Amino acid sequence: MHTSFRNLTGKERAAFIGKYLFMGLCSLVALFPIVWVIMSSFKTNAEILSNGISLPSSLSPDGYIAALTISPILKYFGNSVIITVITTILNVLFLAMAAYVFARCRFRGRNLLYFILSLSLVVPTTALLQPVYSVVNTLGLYDTKMGLVLVYTAINMPMSLLILRGTFQSIPRALEEAAYLDGAGFLRTFFQIMMPCAKGGLTSAAVLTFLNSWNEFTFALMLTNGQEARTLPLSLSYFTAQFSFNYTAMFAAVTIAVIPSIIVFAIFQEQVVSSLTAGSVKG
Amino acid sequence: MRAKKRWIVLFLLPAVILFLLIYAIPLVMVFLTSLFDYRLTGSGMTFVGLKNYVQMFHDPAFRTSLLHTIIWILIHCVLHVALGVALALVLYKKPRGWKFVRTTYMIPNIISNAAVGMIFLNIFNPQYGVVNSILRAVGLERLTHNWLNETATAFPSVTMVWLLFAGYTTTLVLAEALSIDESVLEAAKVDGATGFQMDKFVVLPLLRKIIATTMVMAATYMLQMFDLIYVTTNGGPGKATTNLPLLLYGVYKSENNYGYANTIGVVIILLGAIVMTIINKLFRVNEDDY
Repeated sequence: MHTSFRNLTGKERAAFIGKYLFMGLCSLVALFPIVWVIMSSFKTNAEILSNGISLPSSLSPDGYIAALTISPILKYFGNSVIITVITTILNVLFLAMAAYVFARCRFRGRNLLYFILSLSLVVPTTALLQPVYSVVNTLGLYDTKMGLVLVYTAINMPMSLLILRGTFQSIPRALEEAAYLDGAGFLRTFFQIMMPCAKGGLTSAAVLTFLNSWNEFTFALMLTNGQEARTLPLSLSYFTAQFSFNYTAMFAAVTIAVIPSIIVFAIFQEQVVSSLTAGSVKG
Repeated sequence: MRAKKRWIVLFLLPAVILFLLIYAIPLVMVFLTSLFDYRLTGSGMTFVGLKNYVQMFHDPAFRTSLLHTIIWILIHCVLHVALGVALALVLYKKPRGWKFVRTTYMIPNIISNAAVGMIFLNIFNPQYGVVNSILRAVGLERLTHNWLNETATAFPSVTMVWLLFAGYTTTLVLAEALSIDESVLEAAKVDGATGFQMDKFVVLPLLRKIIATTMVMAATYMLQMFDLIYVTTNGGPGKATTNLPLLLYGVYKSENNYGYANTIGVVIILLGAIVMTIINKLFRVNEDDY
C-alpha cells in the first residue's frame, strides 16, 4: 500500500494510474455540475450566452441581488426552513418515543405492531400521491405548511424507527434500572436518562430527516398551490418561466438552494454515513 | 404497572397515527379506488370492477411508461450499482485521498433533485449548455443537439442526469468493506491471493448482501423517479421520457381521473414487490455466509 511508485512493475504502474484516474473522474463528475453552476452565477448574461464554459470575468453579486428581487426566494427559503425544522423535531421525537417502547417494553402484539409499522419501509410512496392528497385535503391541510410537515414526518418514519430502535437496544439496561430504583417515573427515565444516551442515533435520524425534507419535491408539488407553503426546491421549477432569460439570476437561485444541504452535509458527514449504514441493515 | 401501560400507549400513538394517515389509509384507498370510476368531476364513485385495468393494458402510454420504468430500473441496478461498487473496491484499500473522494462523490446525492434537474437542464441547453459548448470548442459542431428536446436524444440524456451519481452505493458498500475482519484478508494473502483475486473471490462475496441492499435501493429509486424527469423534460418530447410516476401524475392532474391514476399506483406497488423478490432471490439474501 505504501510502496513508492518507482518500485512498481509496469503492470502495477498501470493499475496505480488507472486507480487514481478513476477516483479523479468520479470526483470530477460529482463536483463539476455544482462548480459550473456557482461559476455561472457570477457571469453576466452575455458571458453565459457567448460561451457556456468560460470563467466569469468578475465576482459580481448582481445575479444574487436579481434572484432576490425577481422572485420571493427569501419567502420560499423561510418556508423550507420552517417546514424542515418542525418536521425534523417532530419526526425524531415521535419515532424516538415509539422506538424506545419497541426496544424496551414488553406488551402483547409488540412484534406484530413493529412488523406492520416497518412495512412502510417497502411502500413506494409515489404510488400513493392521490390518496395522500385526499387525506391531507380532508384534514383541511392542503396548501399549508402543516400539511407538508405531516407528510414529511411520516415519510421519514421508516428510517428513523429502524435507526432509533437499534440505538435504544444498544444502551445498557442497567442505566434505566438504576433510574427506576431512584424513583424516576417512565417519562423522566425516557427524557433524562435514555434520550441523552441515544444522542448518536438521534443525530443520525435528524440529519437524514432534515436532508430528505429540505430536498423533497414530489409531495410539495402535489400538496401546495400558492406561495404560502411553496418550498425552495419547488420554486426552482418555476424559475425558468420567472427569470425569463436572466440566466445569471437563475444560476444564483440554484446556488442558494443547494448551499444549505452542502453545509449540513459538511458538518454532519459522519452522521450521514452512519445513518445510511444503520438504515440499510434490515432488521 | 397500569401507569406504565398508559405511557406505552401514549408513546406509540403518534407513530401509529402517522402510519395510518400516510401509509395504511392511502394503501387501502389505492387498491380500492382502482376498482372504481372515480373522477374529480362527475357523480362520485361507481364500482366498475377491473375496467380500469383493462383500459390500462390497452393504453399505449401505459405500455411505454412501464417499459421505460423497467429499462431504467435495469440500467440503474446494473450500471449505477456497478460503478458505485467499483469505486468502493478502490477506496476500501484507503489510497491517498480516499476520504476526499468519498465525500465529494456524495454531494450530488445530498442536494435537492430539483436543483440537480435545473443544473442538467442548463448543462444540456442547446445554446449555452456545457455539452454543446464543449462540442463547439473542439470543432464538432455537427454533433450538437437539443439534447432534452429531441426524441432520439431525450431518453439517454435524462438517464445521464442520475446514472453516474452512485454516492449512496459507494458509501454503503465501502462501510461494509471496511468492516471486513482483517484476519480473513490476511488468510487469503497467505494463501497467495493477488489484489484482483482477493477482490473477486474474497471481498465481493462478503459484500453480497450489502450489494443486494443497494440494488433494492437503486430499483426503488428508479421505480419512484419523478422529480428529475419532471424538472428536465416533464416526460417529453411526446412520451419519450415518461415513466409510471409521471404517467400517474399526468392522469391525476390533467385528466382528473383518480380511479385510473390509482390503478397505475397499484402497478407501481406490485412492480416494486416483484423487483425486490427477484433481487433477494438472485443474491440469496436470506442465506448465511458460511
